[in-house]
Amino acid sequence: MGLSAAMEIGKNGLTIYRVASEVTGENIANVNTPGYSRQRIILETAPPTTVNGFPLGTGVKIATVERYYDSLLQQQLVNAQTTQGYDTAKSNVLQQIEPVFNEVANDGIGAAISKFFGTWQDLTVNPSGTPERQSVITNAQILADNFHTVSKALSNTISIQNASLVPIVDDINATLANIAQLNGQIRTTELVSGNANETRDQRDQLVRDLSKKIGISFTENSDGTTDIMFTDGGASLVTGSISGAFSLDTTNPNSFVVQLTPVGGTLTTVSPTTGQLGATIALRDTIIPGYLSQVDALATTITTQVNAQHTAGFDLNGNPGLPLFDPAATGAATFGLNPLIISTAQIAASSSALITGDNINAQLISKLQGQKLMSGGTLTFNGYIGGLESKIGLDVASSKTTVSQDEAFSKQLTALRESNSGVSLDEELTNLVKYQRSYQASAKLITTATDMMDIVIGLIR
Amino acid sequence: MRVTANMSADSSIYNIQQGRKRLDKLQETISSNQNINRPSDDPISSRLLLDIGDKIKASDQYNTNMVNATTWMKIADTALSGMNDTMLQARTIMNSIISGSSDPTQRQLVHNQLIEFKKQIVDMANTQYGDQYVFGGANNLVPPFNETDNTYAGDGTERQIEIAQGATQTISVSGDRLLQGVGTDPSYGSTDVLQTFDDLIAAVGDTTTPSDAAAIDTAVQSLYLASRQIINAVNTNISRMVRVDNMSKLNVNNKNTLIGIAGNIQNPDLVKLGVQLSSENNAFQASLASTAKLSQLSLLDYLK
Repeated sequence: MGLSAAMEIGKNGLTIYRVASEVTGENIANVNTPGYSRQRIILETAPPTTVNGFPLGTGVKIATVERYYDSLLQQQLVNAQTTQGYDTAKSNVLQQIEPVFNEVANDGIGAAISKFFGTWQDLTVNPSGTPERQSVITNAQILADNFHTVSKALSNTISIQNASLVPIVDDINATLANIAQLNGQIRTTELVSGNANETRDQRDQLVRDLSKKIGISFTENSDGTTDIMFTDGGASLVTGSISGAFSLDTTNPNSFVVQLTPVGGTLTTVSPTTGQLGATIALRDTIIPGYLSQVDALATTITTQVNAQHTAGFDLNGNPGLPLFDPAATGAATFGLNPLIISTAQIAASSSALITGDNINAQLISKLQGQKLMSGGTLTFNGYIGGLESKIGLDVASSKTTVSQDEAFSKQLTALRESNSGVSLDEELTNLVKYQRSYQASAKLITTATDMMDIVIGLIR
Repeated sequence: MRVTANMSADSSIYNIQQGRKRLDKLQETISSNQNINRPSDDPISSRLLLDIGDKIKASDQYNTNMVNATTWMKIADTALSGMNDTMLQARTIMNSIISGSSDPTQRQLVHNQLIEFKKQIVDMANTQYGDQYVFGGANNLVPPFNETDNTYAGDGTERQIEIAQGATQTISVSGDRLLQGVGTDPSYGSTDVLQTFDDLIAAVGDTTTPSDAAAIDTAVQSLYLASRQIINAVNTNISRMVRVDNMSKLNVNNKNTLIGIAGNIQNPDLVKLGVQLSSENNAFQASLASTAKLSQLSLLDYLK
């Protein structure tokens, strides 16, 4: 081994510490990039040679540039994101409809019901009074307005959920296509040279993003690609560089059907139950229609009960009472005053065709409020709407709690990932100084060897 | 565990947000002066509040009913007391002519007075509340009585109204029970008051017709019974007013109790909240200060 070998070691050192600084530079530059995993340069000694019967090293070489990555954490993050995606979507929508049922201020359907039956009480004192009769009609109208508002708010929310399936599905498809494309790039890159660290980071980030939208499971292949499966049915969403796609059957414009064309498969209907997509469908098909059907049941029972009693009475002209509420109504949306009721004289307060000043029927109608006519004879009208409000309150409260638990869990997992894969500037700066010194030392090795070479050349002269 | 600056930043943001959320909740409770602003704040209590709200509304309605009923019965009371006074006057004047009179002038005077008394009774029996005739039963849009014949144009219904959940109170006295002595449950008597006056008028005679002592005697007996009949109606009406008044007091008490319960649930303990607010405020400021300090620390400042 001669002086030129020493110079060679110095030159290698210069190259390698330049690369090490570059890796550090990459880390520093990506300190705030979402999903970036810090990279490190793995150094090892270059193969030794034998000099004068002794094995001597030939300097340093780069074994690999690897990223800090924990596949178990990735798996947990993916699962946590799916749960969080579902709960957050549900909680947000429930919080939006909660104000519709906010009767804490004692204003809303419950108050309107109380006022409506209250006007019948007023009518018992003056059964033939025009102002009292007008008040009955006005309050029936107010009750109808309240039912319409609630019904409209709920059915609008259902429509919005349905419409929002379009952007969600588009987003999922774009993500699937990107993952497949990145898979292809990773495979190609890694065939030629080492680890495609950045591309892998990007793909893993997309996998986590995807998991918020739908439930997925994934497997990491030896060629660097990641295959994605749909947890609701197990169909393949991404295999290598090929992706499947979701689509919507819009035959029924009010209720789109989610379909999936898996990799190598044919178009089938799927029922997502997890992630944001699952929450949107559950809200559209189960949760909000559940509330709506309860409001409808209330409207229908009030219509039938009041109408039955009203038709049993007689109006101011001695004619049998007409149904007070529109008997054709099928729920809260169509609940309203019977269009045939056009004058105050048609309010049937009397129980006798001959005695128009009688108040018996008005009394009987006003008493309907206190009777348990809902839920199989267990609840009054007000008790029923109170129960519904309480149920929604409970749903919102529990979904809020779940979301904050999900957030705390995700935060913890993210912290663990950050602890493992996140860039620490202090650490990188320390490495930078370390590599800089090593670079200086390698340069010094070269100048020293040069000096020694000069001495040798001087001997010859 | 390896800790990076970004982890500290994430943690700081999370904790600052949690602190802000708690402060916001406290602020909302204090500024709205309500513990519960939406059902999800406390679903169980909000259900209770809703129930109490319904009960208070019902209580208000019963109160309106009772005010209306009391007004109605007071108007009836005025008319009934007036009738009672008239009856007393009729009895007094009949005492002065109990065996008839041979003086045509006196006969005519008493005769005229009795006609006036009957008119008064009829007028008072036609008392109105709004456009309703108080003693007309359910057929109360036409005058129940007239002076010419003694027929009753109303009907025998005595109006009832609800004064509490499931409790009704009769508030009207029907004209036929009162002046014709017909009907049962309640019955005030069995005398036809207006006919009694007609009998008295005929028995007393006038300038030309002599008195009929025997007929006067019979009619005065009837007048006594008629007077008892009116007094019975007066007493019944008063006892109904007393019941409504008692119910009204009970109703107010109930309502106050309910308002008290609602207040216990809904009114925040401002002192407690104030203390919480200041401690949360301190914690929040501390987390802001520590975030500001910590996020400035970097090795960069020490490298030359």
